[in-house]
Amino acid sequence: MFDLTRRHLLAATAAAAGASLLPRGAFAADELVAATFGGTWANVQKQVLAPYFTKKTGASVVQSPMLATEQIAKLTAAKGGQPPFDVAMLDEGPNLAAIDAGLVEKYDPAKSPNFASLSPHFQTEYGPAITMQAIGIAYNPKTVKTPPTSWADLWKPEYKGRVGITSLASTLGLAFLLDINRLEGGTEASMEPAFKKLKTLLPNLAAVSANFGAHGALFQQGEVDIGVQNFNFAEELKAKGVPIEFVRVSTGTPAWKTTMHIVKGALKPELAYAYIDSQLSADVQSAMQKSPWNVIPTNSKVAYEGLVASKIAKSPADLDKMVFFDWKKVNQGRAEWTQQFNREIRV
Amino acid sequence: MKQHFDWNEFSFKAVFWALSLATVVVLAAPVVVILLLSFTGEEALHFPPASYSLRWYVALLDANELQASFIISIKVAAITVTASVALGVSAALAIVRSQSAWVRSLETLFMSPLILPALAFGFASLMMFSLLGFRPSILTLSIGHIVVCVPFVLRTTLASLAQLDPALLDCSVSLGASDLFTFRRVTLPLISRGVASGGFIAFMSSFDNVPVSLFLQDARTQVLPIYLWDIIQNQLDNRAASACGVIIIGTIVMMVLMERFAGFSRFMK
Amino acid sequence: MAGAAIRQGREWRLALPLTAFFLAFFVAPLCLLISISFQAESSMNGVLGLNQYAAFIGDRLNLEVLSDTLLLGVKATVLCLVFGYPLAWLITRVSARLQSLLIFLVILPIVTSVVVRTFAWIVILGRRGIVNDVIMALGLSSTPLRLLFSETGVIIVLTQVQMPLMVLPLVTVLQRIDPNLASASQALGAGAWRTFFKITLPLSMPGIIAGTILTYTACVTAFVTQSLIGGSRLLYMPMLIFQQAMDLQNWPFAAAVSVLFMISVLVIVGLLVALSRSRAAKLYG
Repeated sequence: MFDLTRRHLLAATAAAAGASLLPRGAFAADELVAATFGGTWANVQKQVLAPYFTKKTGASVVQSPMLATEQIAKLTAAKGGQPPFDVAMLDEGPNLAAIDAGLVEKYDPAKSPNFASLSPHFQTEYGPAITMQAIGIAYNPKTVKTPPTSWADLWKPEYKGRVGITSLASTLGLAFLLDINRLEGGTEASMEPAFKKLKTLLPNLAAVSANFGAHGALFQQGEVDIGVQNFNFAEELKAKGVPIEFVRVSTGTPAWKTTMHIVKGALKPELAYAYIDSQLSADVQSAMQKSPWNVIPTNSKVAYEGLVASKIAKSPADLDKMVFFDWKKVNQGRAEWTQQFNREIRV
Repeated sequence: MKQHFDWNEFSFKAVFWALSLATVVVLAAPVVVILLLSFTGEEALHFPPASYSLRWYVALLDANELQASFIISIKVAAITVTASVALGVSAALAIVRSQSAWVRSLETLFMSPLILPALAFGFASLMMFSLLGFRPSILTLSIGHIVVCVPFVLRTTLASLAQLDPALLDCSVSLGASDLFTFRRVTLPLISRGVASGGFIAFMSSFDNVPVSLFLQDARTQVLPIYLWDIIQNQLDNRAASACGVIIIGTIVMMVLMERFAGFSRFMK
Repeated sequence: MAGAAIRQGREWRLALPLTAFFLAFFVAPLCLLISISFQAESSMNGVLGLNQYAAFIGDRLNLEVLSDTLLLGVKATVLCLVFGYPLAWLITRVSARLQSLLIFLVILPIVTSVVVRTFAWIVILGRRGIVNDVIMALGLSSTPLRLLFSETGVIIVLTQVQMPLMVLPLVTVLQRIDPNLASASQALGAGAWRTFFKITLPLSMPGIIAGTILTYTACVTAFVTQSLIGGSRLLYMPMLIFQQAMDLQNWPFAAAVSVLFMISVLVIVGLLVALSRSRAAKLYG
């Protein structure tokens, strides 16, 4: 009685399990796997881009959040075989590395009607720019009474143990360090001035996050009162009711392009093109520009509005005045700086 | 006999009771905190919650990715338990019955995944599968889990086999029963509780496994604990709290059932 | 009788499936790990050498990570022992019903996901969490203590998360100690503390060592707890291996780090096992 029923159960489970081991392609409806950044990026793409894409193509999309550096690592590991995702989303720096390593395809404008609507300098050869990211200081207005105006404010003694930054694995952390470097008189060739200055920030540091999302979570939980943050990240948190304010720094706002690419050897290239094209469309970009997302648009047909216009740029010309870095040079030193950074920030 | 107040005895008991109670509180605290927090009505997680509501449980209903990862974890755990029981029970029988020393020394081999860092093993498995050309899949994930979960089944099965009176088996054989019949009708029912207990621990261990899954999963086969970790660290989405609440309640229910039907706490030692 | 003899001859075959499985999926990967650690270049072009090991040992940072990890395990294990022993003692002293309840409470953490348990601690230990609220309310400190993202926090959480692994073997061994021994000791005039240190503690050593082995290995390899509570600034061996293997895709180096880590853990476990064997030899002649 005992033995038979249990064996039958085991056999049934094994059969069911065996069925589920069959390759997914045999059963799954058409599906695309795309990489995205974590936190607010995953949210906005899930809520705005995915439904638009599904309506347009009838296919579903699995959006997998990971840092640009992680995407490069995974694509490199899978090189020659099947890539773990078909669409890569990368910042400047990693995108150059991806192109050099032959991980992404050239972007064919013929397959993507919305490509033509992009402003010219966003129409990059290997994958269009889908947005610009800008960084500044985010702070908790309840606990930080005087709004900060420049990076130097992070060093104030009254913020001891309350400052948050991200590691160099994320472009947020890297851009911050590069800007400190620039202000201290350094160039992309040597980051020594930045590291010297960073050492003096250590007593103030509450936490070093691995990525944007973790950083946002720290603000939400009150672990960090002031820190470096992305514009759209901070605004999303604010819209959710978290006490957080974003300000640009007086010394110039560091910014960079974020691009989307078709991965070499993609399983579903047509779906990948449709996905990126959807991201470039005026509909999607203007929806993403609205609160709480505040994603800076790259489609020239979308005028700057709302918080993007009031806090960042009223027109593309304003964007040109921001601080940019030589990402090719940055790529050369990045690995070494990451090691040094990890060494310096240790408790 | 004169009863005098024994300071020695009193201080000893006081210290031990105090330390134990503190330990019990600390052991139970996290589970209680998360359960209460899962019912918070707020956006941020502060204890005690300023207001209570079921909103985060309701939010689980359309958490598609969370549900998908839950299903993957269940599938992997089911495969893992099935294989672990099949492989583990037969190995346990061999170890207990065999006369040769090398068979008994196999026990050390089979138990070693408990001592070695699972992370290193997960990484090693990833490299092996990768170099052989296999992509991460539910199958490779299950294989990794079986290695780290079969020791649990083995341990409890060996414990219950040790309690089995060999005379019963001799009787069965001398009465003319075949080996398979003896196993099915005599051995198996007698060790069923031990096997079930081990299977339960193996299931939970696979369901909760992080170090092996970290390496052997990919975007398409993400398991629940890692997905939860991701949201906890990168989003602080309060659905993590309600997901944890569901897991805790489910675990408690399963534990109570296992205790009543298999008395599995006996096999944990 | 003939049936019994034939049965015994074939028993070993039942061990074949699991043995084959382990050879293919446990032993083989580990052998591969060791061989890859001897690849001199991260591109794994076939050149062999001890470069990866030299790279690890040559960098002070790496050695600090290793020693930090091993020490972390010691600190957490000691706490588990100090707090877990009384609990195990209590369990053997209470009524059967209470005993079942207590054992249930001890086993519950083991079967609950480590992510779930660690998550709760993030809320409890945060700057605006319960512990800090209580500490500030009691006036013990004017600013919140940094418990999260500190080694103290990691040790506290590890102690709770791994405590059951210490308590259960202790309960087993304490239950086996003949209560008459304690009574005899007290009848002969020894106080409660003396009885404990001279009789109970030595007799429970096998349990202490078993618990220590399980707890220590778990604490040292507790990736989730170390990372969620420790944050990016506290680097331990598991995270180092993960970063090198997955983020930096430097497999040979990650393999070397893994091998060194495994060896360190095995050495410590070996020492503990040897300790238990020598004690057994002393006790039982």
